[in-house]
Amino acid sequence: MIAFIVRRLLVTVLLLVIVSMITFAIFFLVPRLAGQTSFELASQYVGRNPSPAAIRAVEQKLGFDQPLVVQYGRFVKGIVLGAHYNAGPDKTYCPPPCFGYSFRNQQPVWPMLMSNLPVTASLAVGAAILWLAGGITIGVISALRRGTLFDRFSMGIALAGVSLPIFFTGLIALQLFSYNWAIFPDLQYVGLTDNPIAWARNLILPWVTLAFLYAALYARLTRAGMLETMSEDYIRTARAKGLPERTVIVKHGLRAALTPIVTIFGIDLGLLLGGAVLTEFTFSLHGLGLFTILAIQNNDLPEILGVVMLTAFFVVIANLIVDVLYAFVDPRVRY
Amino acid sequence: MSPAAAGELLQVADLRIHFPTEDGLVRAVDGLSFRLDRGRTLGIVGESGSGKSVTSLGIMGLHEGTRAQISGEIRLDGENLVAAPRSRVRQLRGSKMAMIFQDPLSSLHPYYTVGHQITEAYQIHNDVSKGAARAHAVELLDRVGIPQAATRVDDYPHQFSGGMRQRAMIAMALSCDPELLIADEPTTALDVTVQAQILDLIADLQAEFGSAVIIITHDLGVVAELADDVLVMYAGKAVEYGSADDVFGDPGHPYTWGLLESMPRLDTERRDRLNPIPGTPPSLIRLPSGCAFSPRCAYAALNGGRSEREVPPLRETGPGHLTACHLPLARRRAITAGLRSVAEDSDLARPAQESGPGMR
Amino acid sequence: MNRNRKLGFAALGLAAAFGIAACGESGAPQSSQGNQYNAAIGNTVRPSSTSGGTITFDNSSVPDSTDPGNTYYANQWNVIRLYGRTLVTYKSQPGAAGNQLTPDLATSMGQVSADGLTWTYHLKPGLKFEDGTAITSKDVKYAVERSYAKDVLPNGPGYYSLLLKDPNYPGPYKDKAPDKLGLTSVTTPNDTTIVFHLQKPFADFDYVAALPQTVPVPPAKDKGANYQLHPVSSGPYKFQSYQLDKQYTLVKNPQWKASTDPNRKQLANKIVFKLNVNADTIDNNLLHGFADVDVAGTGVQAAARAEILSTPRLKNNADNALSGFLWFTYINSKVKPLDNVHCRRAVEYAADKVAYQTAYGGPVAGGQIASTVLTPNIVGYKKFDLYEALSKPHGDLTKARQELQACGQPNGFSTTMAFRSDRPKEKATATAEQEALSRVGIKLTLQGYPSGKYFTNFAGVPNYVHQHDLGLAVGGWAPDWPDGYGMLYYVTAGPAIQAAGNTNIGELNNPQVNQMFEKAVATKNATDRNKIWSQIDHKVMEEAVILPGVYAKSLLYRSPDLTNVFVHNYYAMYNYSTLGKK
Repeated sequence: MIAFIVRRLLVTVLLLVIVSMITFAIFFLVPRLAGQTSFELASQYVGRNPSPAAIRAVEQKLGFDQPLVVQYGRFVKGIVLGAHYNAGPDKTYCPPPCFGYSFRNQQPVWPMLMSNLPVTASLAVGAAILWLAGGITIGVISALRRGTLFDRFSMGIALAGVSLPIFFTGLIALQLFSYNWAIFPDLQYVGLTDNPIAWARNLILPWVTLAFLYAALYARLTRAGMLETMSEDYIRTARAKGLPERTVIVKHGLRAALTPIVTIFGIDLGLLLGGAVLTEFTFSLHGLGLFTILAIQNNDLPEILGVVMLTAFFVVIANLIVDVLYAFVDPRVRY
Repeated sequence: MSPAAAGELLQVADLRIHFPTEDGLVRAVDGLSFRLDRGRTLGIVGESGSGKSVTSLGIMGLHEGTRAQISGEIRLDGENLVAAPRSRVRQLRGSKMAMIFQDPLSSLHPYYTVGHQITEAYQIHNDVSKGAARAHAVELLDRVGIPQAATRVDDYPHQFSGGMRQRAMIAMALSCDPELLIADEPTTALDVTVQAQILDLIADLQAEFGSAVIIITHDLGVVAELADDVLVMYAGKAVEYGSADDVFGDPGHPYTWGLLESMPRLDTERRDRLNPIPGTPPSLIRLPSGCAFSPRCAYAALNGGRSEREVPPLRETGPGHLTACHLPLARRRAITAGLRSVAEDSDLARPAQESGPGMR
Repeated sequence: MNRNRKLGFAALGLAAAFGIAACGESGAPQSSQGNQYNAAIGNTVRPSSTSGGTITFDNSSVPDSTDPGNTYYANQWNVIRLYGRTLVTYKSQPGAAGNQLTPDLATSMGQVSADGLTWTYHLKPGLKFEDGTAITSKDVKYAVERSYAKDVLPNGPGYYSLLLKDPNYPGPYKDKAPDKLGLTSVTTPNDTTIVFHLQKPFADFDYVAALPQTVPVPPAKDKGANYQLHPVSSGPYKFQSYQLDKQYTLVKNPQWKASTDPNRKQLANKIVFKLNVNADTIDNNLLHGFADVDVAGTGVQAAARAEILSTPRLKNNADNALSGFLWFTYINSKVKPLDNVHCRRAVEYAADKVAYQTAYGGPVAGGQIASTVLTPNIVGYKKFDLYEALSKPHGDLTKARQELQACGQPNGFSTTMAFRSDRPKEKATATAEQEALSRVGIKLTLQGYPSGKYFTNFAGVPNYVHQHDLGLAVGGWAPDWPDGYGMLYYVTAGPAIQAAGNTNIGELNNPQVNQMFEKAVATKNATDRNKIWSQIDHKVMEEAVILPGVYAKSLLYRSPDLTNVFVHNYYAMYNYSTLGKK
């Protein structure tokens, strides 16, 4: 098991290197193949009507005039060793992991990522708890009461939940609960450590909105999984032993039905930790998702690289955790 | 062969188990009656879809939660399980009556250790400590022939071989010392060599525990080895019921003949091929009129259309030997005598068609 | 100036479409004064000297920088007046007065030498930074020097290096002089005097001195790229905190003296700027009193607009103001057959101006139909209508055909029209004009380009334009300062043509026009100068290199909780430096 985890961590590092190379390549090679010079690239990061000299200055400062390998090497070096950066009157030191400085506001990327991460984490984890609880409960009840009014109603809602985009449900939720009825007025993120009550109160709408989407998905998955497991032979065995039905459902049925859901949950949560873009956009939450939007709007390579690598890291780690968990959940799995 | 009422454990009377479906009513079991005494073994035989498994699940009350419509009586030690509340039947399940299933791999939960699955059953019905339950499980595993039971008790089912899994299933079923043990195709999924061991085990255990056993199978060989009584089912009904000696020595129903013919035997000369019963079992939604077996029966024509019109009742053809066939007993005896000689003299593939009386 | 409004991907109009109207009255009874539609255009609504409270500004994006030396966003220039004072500034008054400059740090407007080459400003006595140190002319000089350090502060305008001597000064961070004040073209004979030495006379120099790049920066406190986190205040408010990309908060600066500054007020205790707020959320926050101002000042989104216009209570708190932009189409004077002025005029006549206006959102959200390049809120604007844009807004096809005859293309011609494909309004414009011009046989092929590279790679590259027959190109302009130079020079002057990043896409290089520009910037008398701007406007329209679309307007919502609210003519949004809270 330990060897497995170590091996996977090494693969993770390799994967992150590949991800960063691909991102680098997309950013630099593709425009270059389309005939764009580094001068033209630099012109995106200067104000309006810039003089050629100003563009040259920016080109040099961002290092676009140097070979791609050198630029990539500097990026890697920054992550490992940190980097010095010309802030004007003096050089500032950016300690490792230094993901470079934003082209947009010339601030180090890593602290920005870290200041946005708690927001996204609060959102994702809170919503995950809601959607797991809600989705699985509804899915189990639906499966056990297959064909009943409850089943049809909840699966209808689930279909709607899966189909409706966040910026639709989110805006409706905001309009109703924040503005019309003022139950959650003037939403803005408050740090968990600053004021836990305000933190929770201001996150309820985003949690519910985000959880609604996933709960719908998970309810459908759980229902399908439960329908499958409850027709397994070992369920019949459990009943033949005279176990109470609740034990049969929860201990024997749900335990097995949840295993594939654990996998999907790991990937979903990993991706969300990289930024719940639509939810953050809709509710103006300053998480990694909003950061990503800004980064892309400004074609800001260090920011894009940072957020891509962080997301990749979360997904890979979430997968690793899922795989390890799997070994505990399913004794047939061994590493 | 009519056991004393005092020894009677199970009595099934006019049992009907019907499943409403969108295509119509499936009459899986339709008016079945039989009884079983303590310490005896009943073999229920029939092709798949004949209703034998539905019957056993019905006895165990495992149709609960499905759409099954159950009527008639299932009396276990005088208590009618059909009318009993669910909770009562659940109490009896696993304690007074237990069941072994066909595929031990899929019937054991892959996520729990064998020991856990045994103690779970034991603890539900007995107020014992975890440690005591575990010791009991080890004892049971040892008894059913699992080597190093004390360590294997913590193994997961996938770490067991097929035979060991079925032994574990048996241990689980025996954990509460049941009075009735139902074994549903207990050896079908196992290797031939293991099959015999398992059957021996069941026989030994029955002798030791004194349980009544119902063994459900399509394999007459299994029945011949274990059963005291035999119930032959076809399309949800009993077509022949009697002692093993009677059913094997003097089979009274053309379907039973077919089953016997299609059975590989080691005690006669090797034949080139087996003789399967022609045709397929009928739809349980739209049963043929009259005798359900008549479309596949080579002898139905001998009854002048009666087999197609009337359902033959189970009639006693000997003491405690019941058969449901319109064919007069004398003719049946003649046919079985002919079959036996043909089988011994020639290689004819389908005696029912080629050497049966109807063809002469 | 970049009127910043980043387009998000919100479901616009969603709330309105769902019929969820904001109900419930939150505001207290309002004084009748100012409580009407367009009341803040030309008037100050709820004049008051009440102090206290918190003003909340919502921003759908983030500022390019809060550093006065590193921003080109109009709304940020407006915001900077809260914490930075320039040598001269625009009057904080409603109406046309807003276009007028007035001394700010300086005691008077710039004193120009007889040859027009030196501009001198004297600082008022007793001016102090937020830390109590005196503001000197050296701090202003240092601020100007920072505009040369394009590698560190890339965003701001580059007028100083363009106009002043010593254009190759590398900026203070590479300055060899020990005090970092090595720019020879700006001199500080004493602590209250600053002198600018120009390469050529430039009569508009006061406007340049009004740019936020003259907000003084104490050299000892300059942290270069990090200065944005806490610019040292010279205005009525100073930075209390700044969470990058999220929020910054200003509080009163006790070192600021109202007696030296008639253009700013210090009323609210606190001013909070919330960044990166969803655009529709901003509108809802405004309508429900959770926010006071939308920083961008470009008007509400479609959903809120529908709600405001249909609800009298809300409409009474709204102003439909000119946004300072002209939306127009360049007509290239080099691409055949448009090199013939008659063919260009045919386009002017045949275009459907109503369709143009509709494409931009109609009279309220889009703007009013334009017939000139100068917009009505600009110094020197004079109304004229050469091509019947106002009298025959759907186009004059008869005149168009006459011009085609004169051009030698009686049956029309074919050319390509460029637009920014990620701007729906430009796409709608191109489609509408394609249809309108086809009425006289002018066939347009439409070609969209990504807006990020529109000027750098496509429409702004004359070679590309010639090779691809881009006869028409959709565009827009807002001036850096509100006169003819700011509006006309970069889109019509010959010397403004560049090989890439060109903004004179029509490539007008008319000697007469060029000479008028030269004459104007050398004309010290403002009245005379403003006459020339109008003449250039007229001449450019005669040359038909620009097809005016609309004088853009936006629907601003005026929070009923604010005092001293008026639309500032120059910033083309509410003036931020005087706002107070009821």
